[in-house]
Amino acid sequence: MTSISKEEIKSVQVLTPRLQKLKKEWEDAEPQVYVDDSLLFTQSWKETEGLPVDVRWAKALEKRLLECPLLIRDGELIVGSLSKFIRGNGTLCAMKPHEILTMAESGKFDRKTSDISSTRIDPADLEALRADAQYWIENMPKVSSVNAAVELDMGCEVFDLLFDRGMVFEGRGVRYKMDRGLFQNYSAYGGGVAQVSVKCIANGLNYIIDLCSAERERMLREGDENSRGTAQFMRKYWLLKACIISCEAFIKYARRHADLAREMAKTETRTARREELLRIARACERVPAEPPRDFFEAVQCVRLYHLVCWKESSDRPEVPIGRLDQLLYPYYEKDVTEGKITAQAAAELLGALWLKIRECENLVTIPREQRAAPGSLLPNITLCGTDENGNDLTNDISWLVLEAMAQIKLSEPAIYVRYNPNMDSEFLLHALECNREFGGGNPAFLNDVLGTQRYLDRGVPLSDACNWNASGCLGYHLDSLEHMGGGHNISQLKVLELALNDGFDKRTGKQLGPHTGDVRAFTGFEQVLDAYCAQLDYFTKMLRRFKMISWGTEIADGPMSGLRVAMQYEDCIPAGLASREGGARYPEGRAAWLGSRGLVDLADTMTAIKKLVFDEKKTTMAELLDACDRNWQGYENLRSLCLGAPKYGNDDDYADEVYDELSTRVPEIMQQDVDPLTGKKPMLFIGAAAGHVGIGKAIGAMPNGRMAGTPTCDAACSVSPGCDVNGPTAAINSATNGEYSREYAGYAMNMKFSKALLNTPEKLRQLAFLVRVFMKRGGWHIQFNIHSREELLDARAHPEDHRNLLVRVGGYSAYFIDLPPGLQAEIVNRTMHELI
Amino acid sequence: MAKEILAAAWDGVLPKETLRMEDLPQPRGRVFNIQRYSLDDGPGIRTTVFLKGCQLRCPWCSNPESQSFEPQILYRYTACKMCGACIAVCPQGAVTMGADGIDIDRARCAVCGECAAACVQGALKISGEDMTVEQVFKVIRRDAAYYEESGGGVTCSGGEILAQADFVRELFKKCREAGYHTCADTSGFGTAEAMEKVLKFADLVYFDLKHADDGWHLANLAVPRDVIIRNLRLCALRGVPVVIRVPLVPGQNDSEENLTAMAELAKSIVPRAQVNILPYHKYGESKYRSVGMEYTLSHLRENTPEELERAAAVFVECGLECTISK
Repeated sequence: MTSISKEEIKSVQVLTPRLQKLKKEWEDAEPQVYVDDSLLFTQSWKETEGLPVDVRWAKALEKRLLECPLLIRDGELIVGSLSKFIRGNGTLCAMKPHEILTMAESGKFDRKTSDISSTRIDPADLEALRADAQYWIENMPKVSSVNAAVELDMGCEVFDLLFDRGMVFEGRGVRYKMDRGLFQNYSAYGGGVAQVSVKCIANGLNYIIDLCSAERERMLREGDENSRGTAQFMRKYWLLKACIISCEAFIKYARRHADLAREMAKTETRTARREELLRIARACERVPAEPPRDFFEAVQCVRLYHLVCWKESSDRPEVPIGRLDQLLYPYYEKDVTEGKITAQAAAELLGALWLKIRECENLVTIPREQRAAPGSLLPNITLCGTDENGNDLTNDISWLVLEAMAQIKLSEPAIYVRYNPNMDSEFLLHALECNREFGGGNPAFLNDVLGTQRYLDRGVPLSDACNWNASGCLGYHLDSLEHMGGGHNISQLKVLELALNDGFDKRTGKQLGPHTGDVRAFTGFEQVLDAYCAQLDYFTKMLRRFKMISWGTEIADGPMSGLRVAMQYEDCIPAGLASREGGARYPEGRAAWLGSRGLVDLADTMTAIKKLVFDEKKTTMAELLDACDRNWQGYENLRSLCLGAPKYGNDDDYADEVYDELSTRVPEIMQQDVDPLTGKKPMLFIGAAAGHVGIGKAIGAMPNGRMAGTPTCDAACSVSPGCDVNGPTAAINSATNGEYSREYAGYAMNMKFSKALLNTPEKLRQLAFLVRVFMKRGGWHIQFNIHSREELLDARAHPEDHRNLLVRVGGYSAYFIDLPPGLQAEIVNRTMHELI
Repeated sequence: MAKEILAAAWDGVLPKETLRMEDLPQPRGRVFNIQRYSLDDGPGIRTTVFLKGCQLRCPWCSNPESQSFEPQILYRYTACKMCGACIAVCPQGAVTMGADGIDIDRARCAVCGECAAACVQGALKISGEDMTVEQVFKVIRRDAAYYEESGGGVTCSGGEILAQADFVRELFKKCREAGYHTCADTSGFGTAEAMEKVLKFADLVYFDLKHADDGWHLANLAVPRDVIIRNLRLCALRGVPVVIRVPLVPGQNDSEENLTAMAELAKSIVPRAQVNILPYHKYGESKYRSVGMEYTLSHLRENTPEELERAAAVFVECGLECTISK
């Protein structure tokens, strides 16, 4: 720890007048479609015809980095803009030409982070974009190689299960109709997550270029023991070339910024700004080629890494920033010791970094209900954690990052705190305070001990196991050492719906699953459970095979790997493979995770059936199914009865028993066979925070009382909206009765609190205790949302959906829906500012 | 036994027919709510057990269902869809359809619960369930980890807990054995014997002080002041830490003169007491309709921040620590 006091850190002003101005400019700027990168990519692709695919990827990146327009705005300390606009939205026609063409023709452009605003486009750009999209449509194969291969191996039936058809499967990579651009079926993480890598920054890219060059020389001189006598030899040779091209282009891109800053300095009349520009120039000449010399250069370097990784994959740019406090601290500590930096100055730089990160936006073309993580670009930052010896790694930067987050109030980046029991209580409190200031949901807390334990369970040595960070949507992975694939998920509630209908899907009119019996004739709950398990078993086998074939054909399209190999240089260079192909040190994740969505809804539905049909005999399977078929019309009282059945999340033994049973059975089925690619037990991902709206649309009314088409529960172990009536301790108890977190990745708990319930330091302290107990009981991920005005308004309109909404009113807390209309109105009117 | 205790405390102030404790075998508690993750009733994360029945008739009471010792039908009209199922099943014919919800003839209602069982919306329920110490403790125990982590525990509130002192004593005893902190939240109205029982295993007392004047107590709350003062002295005598809670109701007890008198009174009995001012609010108003009662203070306004500060200053000047609840 440095000599800087916590008081000093807490009193920093992140939004200095300079940053206020920059933020305001961004807020006021009209979002614009940015086409230059797309055109440059296409141009490069035409120029590189005939070259190995890895090299073509690298060349396409090089072209963009060397020729794209640059922008350094007045007042900026940290530079590196996605586009020439203050608020540009990037895209690549090469990835999804049909969708871009549709957009171009309709003139309506959607941004990833907004479902409402559309984006402007310059008329000349529109024409160019249209032509660009047209080129790719004309020059790409008309048939999906994934679909062709799947059909050959599995027949056509499996297509009916996909996300854009029967919706038994969920995930970006499990759609039938993919926009066929350069990738035939480009799933979520084409090249694997490219991360802002601590080791790369600390070594400098010149070091990695030298490694690649030396390895190529060595291959020429002595051959290569890893690939001798196989086609893999040349693959490696070219991959290393691609890596060198990418790294050199990255360095030149930084130097273009240095040149521009120097040029601007020449005509700059204000002395202070001229000095700043020269400082920017010196930094961009230094990084990323060489290691940063101070905190300022390190922050600039992080920005450039984030941006270039982003540019490389404009289709799905999820670039986790990783353990930023661990990355930046050595530079900060050195500067503080030498008297070169104050907490205030460091905070302003972090704020500047935040604004640049948030600037990155991209166009989305996927229909809204099929989008993953809508509203987020997932530049996750992870804080704290422990080292090999169990020492808490919280440092000044951890504190400052939270301040920056709370004061800047941008919806991104998302912050994850790796909680460990030895963590300073004051820090935990600070994190919760910042969460409250921010308006809720940020930072989230992850269980440090458990995260490391999961890797140890997989045989990863402690020295690597403790270096994990949050990535993607509810995922996590090891910095530079692991491939992180996207999830292919099974919609559990849909599976149950099919089980209740003997495998028949009423929505599509098709027999999607096997015949598992007429539930109307079932005499015991066990039969329902068995029918469900038989359906799940069938779908799991289908999904595993689909995934494997899909992976194989995607690999043939090229793994987009130059920069990613650099990021994982320690393992990918000797192996001569990109991480996606198995080049990472821990490649198990490369076939992506096997996911399960909607466990809570599944459990609540099963509980209602068990209780009302078989235990209390208040209704029959036949009546229940009729009611569901009619979406409860004419069965309102039966629906109320179902809504009143025991629900998960209330520390209710009856409901929790069913949940526990299913939480054991589901992984038993989904993990019964090893992953064919790795030979290891597949990793089970139980996300939900993203796809719950989408999968919900394909599911009819169900015995848990849900109406047809409504979203499923919002996170893996959150309580269904309106279903927890016994408060947060009961919900946590339900979620942590078993050791689910150890098996399931992404097992997240999302809790909603009103700001007023956290309005005193004392109350905030109680929330910290709640976190501690959650973790102690083996919970994995918890976050606290503070309700929004919209939610309160919705609660007024639909009180039955908001039974758990706690508000603090005067001397006590109350459920919002119980309050008189006038008071509700008053509380609605006193809510916080909105996030952008 | 319970009846005698109550009758002794009664001093003939309230009509005796409201007192029917004989069907309440001790030490069962008549519970109308068990609230978990309760943050306002003592230190740390707590579970608050609300006991039904109170002799006081504070017009600002925010839990009107806590007043009657009898179980009552609670009608949550916001959840009612006016389906009429309750009307059909009521054996007493006590339920009729009104303009914006049902009307319950409370005089006829036998609190049999048929209507609540028939109501699938959950708009009707019986408030007041007789529970054994074991039953209540089973709920309390579920949050043991949270008490331990936060230094929290269990609070008994009401209603008036002194009216069910045997139950509270046994429950607190069990909590203390388990290592949970115990807090008694009381208006102070009850026999000395009841007070002693509650104090026996209480780690902390939240003691309401509403007014300094005896006449005011009789006129406004329908109970004598001196019983309350005697019990506050008992708390001091037994050395249990006391937090004095003052609901500050505009025009009722917020005159400077009364506050000064209350502060001096408190100081003289519990010199080191902490004082906690509870700002007046009307959030219980809607619940009055739920139990067929009428709220009489609709015309009152909330305290201004200045009034709250001024009131706190009176206690501070007297040498007492004083906080204002949020």
